[in-house]
Amino acid sequence: MRIDGTKRLMLISVAIPLFFYGCSSQELKSVKNGSPDLPVTVENIISVRTSGESGGAEILLVPKSAIVRKGELTGILVVGADDRLILRWIRTGRLLKDDLVVLGGLDKGEFVVGTYNPALNEGVTVKKGPRVTEEVQSK
Amino acid sequence: MNEGIAGKLAKQFINSKITPLLMVASLLVGIMATFMTPREEEPQIVVPMVDLFIPFPGAAPSEIEARVAKPIERTLTEIPGVDYVYSTSMPDVALVTVRYKVGEDAEKSMVKLWSTLMKNMDKMPQGVQFPLMKKVSIDDVPVLNLTFWSKSKDPFQIRKTAVVVADELKKIKNIGDVEIKGGLKRQIKIVLDKQKLLKYNVSPLQITRQVQMANSQMTSGDFKQMNQEIVVRTGKFLESASDVGNIVVGIYGASPVYLRDVASVVDGPEEVNNYNFFGWAAAAPHGSVSGEYPAVTLTVAKRKGGDASLLADKVMARVSGLRQTVIPADVTVTETRNYGATASEKVMTLLEHLLMAVVAVTIVVGFFLGWRGSLVVLASVPITFALTLLIYYLLDYSLNRVTLFALIFVTGIVVDDSIIIAENIHRHFAMKRQPKLQAAITAINEVGNPTILATFTVIAAVLPMVFVSGLMGPYMSPMPIGASLAMIFSLLVALIATPWLSFRLLKTESGHHEEYDVTKTGYYKVFNTILSPFIESPVKRWMAFGVVGLMLFGAIALVPLKAVQMKMLPFDNKNEFQVILDMPEGTSLEQTARVAKEVSAYLKTIPEVSSYQYYVGTNAPINFNGLVRHYYLRQKANMADIQVNLVHKGERKAQSHDIAKRVRPGVQQIAQRYNGNAKIVEIPPGPPVMSTLVAEIYGPTQSEQIALATEVKKVFKETPGVVDIDWLVEADQKVYNLVVNKERAAFRGVSAEQIAQTLRMSLAGMDVGLIHTANELDPVTIQVRLPQSDRTSLHDLSGIFVQSQGMGTLTTRLRAGEMIPLSELVKVEEKIQDKSIYHKDLRRVVYVTADVAGATESPVYAMLDMDKKIQKLKLPAGYSINPLYTASPTTEDKLSMKWDGEWQITFEVFRDLGTAFAVVLVIIYLLIIGWFQSFKTPLIMMIAIPLSLVGIIPGHMLHGAFFTATSMIGMIALAGIMVRNSVLLIDFIQIRRAEGIELKQAVIESAAVRTRPIILTSGAVVIGSIVMLFDPIFQGLAISLIWGGILSTILTLVVVPIVYYMAEKKSK
Repeated sequence: MRIDGTKRLMLISVAIPLFFYGCSSQELKSVKNGSPDLPVTVENIISVRTSGESGGAEILLVPKSAIVRKGELTGILVVGADDRLILRWIRTGRLLKDDLVVLGGLDKGEFVVGTYNPALNEGVTVKKGPRVTEEVQSK
Repeated sequence: MNEGIAGKLAKQFINSKITPLLMVASLLVGIMATFMTPREEEPQIVVPMVDLFIPFPGAAPSEIEARVAKPIERTLTEIPGVDYVYSTSMPDVALVTVRYKVGEDAEKSMVKLWSTLMKNMDKMPQGVQFPLMKKVSIDDVPVLNLTFWSKSKDPFQIRKTAVVVADELKKIKNIGDVEIKGGLKRQIKIVLDKQKLLKYNVSPLQITRQVQMANSQMTSGDFKQMNQEIVVRTGKFLESASDVGNIVVGIYGASPVYLRDVASVVDGPEEVNNYNFFGWAAAAPHGSVSGEYPAVTLTVAKRKGGDASLLADKVMARVSGLRQTVIPADVTVTETRNYGATASEKVMTLLEHLLMAVVAVTIVVGFFLGWRGSLVVLASVPITFALTLLIYYLLDYSLNRVTLFALIFVTGIVVDDSIIIAENIHRHFAMKRQPKLQAAITAINEVGNPTILATFTVIAAVLPMVFVSGLMGPYMSPMPIGASLAMIFSLLVALIATPWLSFRLLKTESGHHEEYDVTKTGYYKVFNTILSPFIESPVKRWMAFGVVGLMLFGAIALVPLKAVQMKMLPFDNKNEFQVILDMPEGTSLEQTARVAKEVSAYLKTIPEVSSYQYYVGTNAPINFNGLVRHYYLRQKANMADIQVNLVHKGERKAQSHDIAKRVRPGVQQIAQRYNGNAKIVEIPPGPPVMSTLVAEIYGPTQSEQIALATEVKKVFKETPGVVDIDWLVEADQKVYNLVVNKERAAFRGVSAEQIAQTLRMSLAGMDVGLIHTANELDPVTIQVRLPQSDRTSLHDLSGIFVQSQGMGTLTTRLRAGEMIPLSELVKVEEKIQDKSIYHKDLRRVVYVTADVAGATESPVYAMLDMDKKIQKLKLPAGYSINPLYTASPTTEDKLSMKWDGEWQITFEVFRDLGTAFAVVLVIIYLLIIGWFQSFKTPLIMMIAIPLSLVGIIPGHMLHGAFFTATSMIGMIALAGIMVRNSVLLIDFIQIRRAEGIELKQAVIESAAVRTRPIILTSGAVVIGSIVMLFDPIFQGLAISLIWGGILSTILTLVVVPIVYYMAEKKSK
């Protein structure tokens, strides 16, 4: 069938919105995966530790294994006040043994997921398992 | 019978073949113009505003103020046409903003500014760098935002896609600036290794020098040989990371030291300097993903005079074309702003409203004149509007909401001339005293000339509004110009087309043979019963006047009683707002991002929010507001912008302003938990200002100013209805001052400059050049820097070394190249960062800003409220502050305060409108004197003007609306309309009296005869205005026209004849 100019125009004008609609909804399946309502037990929830530097200033430490990387972005899963996980972007400094110095984005005493597990998603409610509250002052 | 201009004109055209041709021709050009005129939502306002950035590295704010900002301000104020000069003296840089008077030619202003600046560059102190000059115009506001976001890609990759798309979009004709916000650029990072540098005896400065020298290539000349020229090129640019790594930067022992030996060279994303995320919210389209994703925003601006909707369509079509080729499947492109679509929608709605107004008016006319009469009137409207639209096109106006409102506003008025003419022809046809053609011409003669006069009184009422100055001027000028033009065209149509149409369409009713007698009509009976008692009994007359006077007084009293509040313009119902988050100076990017994320998480739950996007470390695409507020400079680590998109206004009940009011407490609560300050910023309905409420505090010293500002801020906080309080005083930020020990440095052959440069390179990083690749659209810089982990504290500085320059410096005996640790040469002083110094028109000023919402919506009342408290403030100097309203203080020796912000524009607008109103009254008076040759008669006619207040003010109370600038426009226009009614009334009395009829009889008769056209014309105005009630901004105009029109018409029909009777009786 030959499609003349006006028909094509009509087709396109119908197709474009459809196309956009299609694009925005193609990721339908992944909506809230890991169903946030069911609490997930995470064993390794630890609090952000502080350590007295030799220079006198306090520094914050998190285990290297807790870090989430997305390209150049560095993040960590923080357990919020409502026990939900929040992905927090942080800036890290030096490596001290197995710990990374956090320069910005975290507060002392906040609870974070100690070992990053890609299965854990933002928005998931966690049950704090037997909390591995490591000795607050290392060194 | 003598004929006026009107009669002559009508006679010429009533039977001419040219008349229909003219009508068709004007319709056609009008339709053409409608399609060719660009469409936009807001009118084009040219505020030539220029930002000058003058860098003076190393200088403190106070030095910059004295040496750079002040001298430049002084010279700039000399330029003619400059309205305000603002400056901000920050550490290292001065920002001077020049604002020209509204309407100044932008190009000429730039030239003047440039030449003045250049003339004075020799007076700048050494060290001042070349100024950067940036013109800011309304066309910098992007009309289309596309957000690229992805679940799997990182900001670096998303930006790559966006850059390619931007490059493609730029090829579209008539496109303006295309910009990319957020994402990470590609960069070649030279990450220094302190230990290795020390080991190989290489200093950072040396690396910079070597890289710069290696990165060169040039055409060296040519050889001539055998009639040929052979070009010689030398060198090779750096093309890749490995090229950079292979640069020899020093010698260690006998072997060369390559750059890769002392530093790691990484080709990849730059260090994170912004966080930009997108997420769907509660009201997202069905099936959207939850969570938030890294995003990059591509903004598209339009060129001056371009059509936003056309451009947006083209861009969107192009983007969907690119989807198959350059946009990967896992990158989603979401349209987060489309002013083209909103403009188109607005224009369409307005055209629809216009049609509704015309139809409504036609129906009203139909009631009185029958369908044939209404057809005559209906025909006149499109012709009038067609011609007006043509003029819009020729005058370079765009179709926007102000120009279209001008048309809706005059719909009721433009039909009037045709109504009056058609009605009189109709009446004369009905009287059957003359043959048809003769009757028509007599009819036109009778009302033609007063119609011309009446039209000019209305024009005289509307036109002076052109002289509204300031930012509101260009905003409002299409109203008076459009309305006046439409009036003139409607007059021409009424005199040329209406007689032609009436002559053909109106029928002389057959079977109605009795002689026409005015005393037998219903109107006459009504007026006879109403007017006679007042005419006969002076007591009743005075009682009537008393009642009317009391009503007027009562209406006016509503204003001081705050039953009707004044405000410049109410908020419009938009589909977006922004949250502006300011953390204390010195907050890290990550902390700001965290707060922004938390605020967004709250906003996400608001049922009307469809999507949000937060921008940390880079500004959100600006809107009209951001232009004046310099939001495009919000790129520091402690600032975040959140763009909140609401569902379309058709799909929600709440107005955007109410939603903003609702979310404000929640947002501020989160911000305050982190010591931040959040503001909800809505798109202003009119011209943008720095803030709705601005207190400018002047004084002898900065510390005293800040002390007073603190007090004023407290007063702001205590006042209910005052929200979003902020000030332009930075929080204390810790600064390490590394003071160079000059003696030691000299002894070791190190210059202070060397130290400063080395430190800058280590901490902030330094761009040392570009790599030259053919297939990269963005420039790729080469940056030398210490790794993040090595620059976290003063402690880390210990490992940085500088090289001694050796004996060449004549101050040392060390050999050149000796490595000296920095810590040996500098001493650390901890202090607080100097605060920026603000100037306005050469005076030092501290700003306290706020918005109003909730308890009071109008800044004026909040100001009056706070005035009392501010006057009570105890100042150390012992005097009290009296806030100023209109003029800057005369002296800086004493602390003083001035109100600014929306108030300044409100004041200017109401002042200019008030002046315009006064001028209007005088012009109308003069016009009527010219016509009636009497000083007294015009005064009687103008009684109708104050009477309109009886309707206008209670009308506002009834609708719960503000008395706004548009209400004022309505009031002024109404003055013209009401005087016109009186003119028609009294003109008829005089004609009757000239025919020898006794005064009382003439008065009642004329009231009876003129009632129909007066009610018709006023009714047309009232009905035509009803559609405007639904627009938040022009509601005031509609209320004024409707309620003022109804009340003052009724009162005019009674009061004016009585007063005229009294006046004439006395003079006899």
